[in-house]
Amino acid sequence: MNDTINNDTDDNTDDARSTALLDELASLASPPPAELAESLRDRLFDRWLSTESPLGPVLVAYTTRGVSFVRTSALVPGEQFLETHRRRFGRPLRRADSAPSGLVDALWGRPGAAPEVDLEGLSAFEHDVLAATRTIPLGETRPYAWVAREAGSPRAVRAAGSVLARNPVPLLVPCHRVVRSDGSPGQYLFGPETKQRLLSSEHARAHDL
Amino acid sequence: MNTTARRARTAPDATTTSSGDSPDGREADDALLELREALVDDLDEGFAQLVRTHQAVAYAVALRTTGQRADAEDLVAESFLRAYRALRGYDTTRLRELQPRAWLLTIVVNTRRNQVRDAARRPRADGGELPERASTERSVEDRAQDGETSDELAAQLARLSEAQRTAVVLRHVVDLPIDEVAEVLGCPPGTAKSHVSRGLSRLRDLMTPPDGAHTAATSRSNP
Repeated sequence: MNDTINNDTDDNTDDARSTALLDELASLASPPPAELAESLRDRLFDRWLSTESPLGPVLVAYTTRGVSFVRTSALVPGEQFLETHRRRFGRPLRRADSAPSGLVDALWGRPGAAPEVDLEGLSAFEHDVLAATRTIPLGETRPYAWVAREAGSPRAVRAAGSVLARNPVPLLVPCHRVVRSDGSPGQYLFGPETKQRLLSSEHARAHDL
Repeated sequence: MNTTARRARTAPDATTTSSGDSPDGREADDALLELREALVDDLDEGFAQLVRTHQAVAYAVALRTTGQRADAEDLVAESFLRAYRALRGYDTTRLRELQPRAWLLTIVVNTRRNQVRDAARRPRADGGELPERASTERSVEDRAQDGETSDELAAQLARLSEAQRTAVVLRHVVDLPIDEVAEVLGCPPGTAKSHVSRGLSRLRDLMTPPDGAHTAATSRSNP
């Protein structure tokens, strides 16, 4: 019976050596680095804000890597935007203190350094479709087939259209500049009329420049 | 279960600040209730509170299982995100019964286990040349030699089996009561206790210097 005692006794033996060992173990619980709290907050919580855009008021979410989600308040108002974001990204949100630099200009299609976009979690194809779309300059349009070709899948025209229909960052990735091969505007996240209006105003501005 | 004893062990500072009825224990209970209500009320706000309350203990456990600060921070961040995704699926009843610290530390321990397993699999998937060793593949022991962990004890800790190491870290590094250690390990308290004491006795053996006092004492007893 004595053989088993060692395993069954409570770990708090009075033995001095044990006490020293326990003290040493306790000292391994060094306090976390001072910057842990802030670094965790930035890594865990995406930030959100609302601002004006050519589409009216928009809600914008961004991560440490860039802007991750843009929606109009009309389409997904306040709390619904937050909930849609959580469902889509599985990450908590907190209200931002300030907008990422260049965001407002980029939303309005003004020249200047656009903010980074965070497309993490998307498939390679989705990523390539959005990257190709992002290169279409102000005042110009490209057909869906062009986007599919640029994304390396010339036959995936419909699939490219579906990716653009779910564009997480409209305006920053100007999916409204992708049109049908006959020149008609086609579908848009925020409706075909909005797409036509955006394109007309961009066309006019590009000519002014 | 003896809740008074459990509470007293959970809040070891109680003896220094209180007399008689344990007000710190009550404070800990109040804080727990408040955290649960915050999670029910507004998940993101409640989650922020969970992060604030338990990031230090999560980090201490992560540091002792990874051995490196950057890895520990990655592990903590990953674990909190998993925690958040799990919380989103919990209903009010489940949130009100949550034992957040044990629950969170279970996620930390499991996430680490997955990381180690994935890191071990990766080279085979790559085939061909041996890849550069990722930091997750380096043992705590290696890093202790590189001066990345504080001392010898941390290195010896790494030589214990996973169950023993986790048990010792939870019980004696971050000072969890044995019931919570058992909850994190997913075993009965008796088994958790046995992991702790076996781990401690292995550590004592590992830490005894080869020319230690023991040999002298033994030889003296032989005339």
